[in-house]
Amino acid sequence: MNEQALSLKDLVKDFDGKRAVDNISFTVRKGEILGLLGPNGAGKTTTIRMVMNIIAPDAGHIEILGQPFTEKMKDMIGYLPEERGLYRKMKVMDVLVFLGELKGMKAGAIREAGRKLLKRFDLENYELKKVEELSKGMAQKLQLISTILHEPELLILDEPFSGLDPLNIELVTRILLEKKKEGVSIIFSTHLMEYAEKIVDSVVMINQGRKVLDGKLSEIKAQYGKKFIHIEYEGDGNFIAGLDFVKGYKDYGREMEIELTDLTDKNRLLKELSARVSLNSFQLTEPSLHNIFIRKVNEGVGA
Amino acid sequence: MKLLAIIKKEYREIVKKKTFIISTILTPLIMAAFMFLPVLLMKMGKGEKTIQVADYSGFIYEKLAQSEKNPPLEKNAPATPKNGGKGDIFKKNSMSEGGKLKFKEIATAGATAEELLNRNIDAIREKKIDGFLVIPATIKKDRQLMYYSANISDFETNKFIEATVRTIISQQILIDKQIDPQIVNEATRDVDFTTIKVKKEGTSKSSAGIEYTMSLFMLAILFSILMGYGQLIMRSVLEEKNSRIIEILISSTDTQHIFYGKIIGIGLAGLTQVAIWCLFGAALVGKFSMGLDSGILNFLTLEIGIYFVVFFLLGFFMYAILFSIVGAAVNTDQEAQQFAAPISYLLIIPFIMGIMVTQSPNSPVAVISSFIPLFTPTLMFMRITVSPPAFLQIMLSIFFSCAFIGFLAWLGAKIFRVGMLMYGKKPSLGEILRWIRYK
Repeated sequence: MNEQALSLKDLVKDFDGKRAVDNISFTVRKGEILGLLGPNGAGKTTTIRMVMNIIAPDAGHIEILGQPFTEKMKDMIGYLPEERGLYRKMKVMDVLVFLGELKGMKAGAIREAGRKLLKRFDLENYELKKVEELSKGMAQKLQLISTILHEPELLILDEPFSGLDPLNIELVTRILLEKKKEGVSIIFSTHLMEYAEKIVDSVVMINQGRKVLDGKLSEIKAQYGKKFIHIEYEGDGNFIAGLDFVKGYKDYGREMEIELTDLTDKNRLLKELSARVSLNSFQLTEPSLHNIFIRKVNEGVGA
Repeated sequence: MKLLAIIKKEYREIVKKKTFIISTILTPLIMAAFMFLPVLLMKMGKGEKTIQVADYSGFIYEKLAQSEKNPPLEKNAPATPKNGGKGDIFKKNSMSEGGKLKFKEIATAGATAEELLNRNIDAIREKKIDGFLVIPATIKKDRQLMYYSANISDFETNKFIEATVRTIISQQILIDKQIDPQIVNEATRDVDFTTIKVKKEGTSKSSAGIEYTMSLFMLAILFSILMGYGQLIMRSVLEEKNSRIIEILISSTDTQHIFYGKIIGIGLAGLTQVAIWCLFGAALVGKFSMGLDSGILNFLTLEIGIYFVVFFLLGFFMYAILFSIVGAAVNTDQEAQQFAAPISYLLIIPFIMGIMVTQSPNSPVAVISSFIPLFTPTLMFMRITVSPPAFLQIMLSIFFSCAFIGFLAWLGAKIFRVGMLMYGKKPSLGEILRWIRYK
């Protein structure tokens, strides 16, 4: 009956006359992972803060688990803010106990759950260490532990990958997928679209406070079709710009993503490429979220 | 429940701090030193003080000399019985074992008063004598006694001389009226002057007594606790703001819980410290009361202790809220110091006024300012220690302060809610006031 974990309707927020969030609406379905994507300053954090009732929207409506925000809901939500910080002088377990108690847990249960999670995150030897003795990455992990400690039904994570090395990004990704299996609904924001792409079910893209795209990842990808060709090459790829059947491209130097107006031209492209550069790989791909985002933003500018 | 978690965390955080442990131990030591040092110094000193007496009245010296433990040998033994049971007018024990006083009369004839004074002042400077007491001829009428000494903060000596001379005058007046010496002795017997406040008209010079010092001393303690904990709270709030933990806290519980929990938690830590000091002090006084100045003992009553705790709590909550508002409004330590300065002045003003209050505790300025809530914790407490005002006045000032704290708490919670999430530039006072109206 109640399928929505979170729904935002026509959210508006102004800061000093500047519109930070402009009529944003979207829905997170129960048990899915939704990625809130967009460049820095797009309004992701402001949107999340409004969801968390940290700042009040100027207009619009938010429902969590089918109801407007209430104080009781705080126990069902796990929130990881964008800017991290913990009590530097407190011991790791004491921090968890304090934050857990604030979520309505009992100290005994916190210690038990805390130990398991610390182990999971390779922090089991730091239980009695002070927070200031942890490395930045460790502190990030500790903060994530404190976010999921009380087994929330809804996880709201603001830039969960920032400051983590690839190994830890991998770990966090795994944990998020595990949580999803447990039925937890997750919304996270990031500007790192390549990581988001791997785990999200739905995406909401925002730019300059406005929603530019919204939908299930599979549907979006299907909509954009396999019109992209990914190549690895050596040589000078600049000639691509002059080809009339190429709609757009992104040159990374040794790799290039090329979008064709019509996919039947792929053999023509291969012929041109093999004549001018040394080709190592030639592959038909789905467009990356990054490419879709760029296209959407450009469309927006054109309109 | 969540409020409790915050109180617990704040309390533990403070109590575990090194500075807390150090100041908890150090303060009573300093206090003890303050209480015992004068007595100790006197004991370690030469133990006997020589005081020259210029007696223009002609009747004081003889009896004053009798009051000594070892009467001067060069004088004839007095006719009146001395050290003789109940009838003894001079309470030797008031001088305890602190040191003996040796009075020596000097001839007042043959030199002008001025010459005499100069000569004796020189003698004091050269440390030949410890003091010079001038008893004017009109002492009976004016009750003016002048005591010159390098050390005028020797309250025991001051009090002893003052009380003894007073008794002698009383006796003399009665004897002048042809009253039976027996009755005179009976009438003037056993005056436990240590519990009688020496506050007669126009004797502000003589009020430089133990209460004055003690009440200033307790004011200093109050002041340093309020300042210390205020700064502590301010920094703690600022830390939560700058580390953005506040976002996690706000997403976990009510802002009011966070705000009140913090103030109550730190307040309890402060109370713990004060309680430890009180217990320590009580134990000390109980064990060593013999060695203590009786003035201090008389000063440190249970009543004063209770008032101290009450006014400590009032002051604590007022200034804690003010300092936490600053912590929530600013972004950096420097800004915090700038904003905190005016609050510190609010604490320093009564400290300066305290001197005036101890001297004339019932002057209109003292009375009115002791009712201003921000000054009540310090000034009303001072008034109580020096010259207790009517109980109704005390209750009224406590009531005003509580009402003011309620108002501050309401205001503080509002500013806290907005301020904690405002990053960036330093807010103006106008902006902070505007936050109060935010929903």
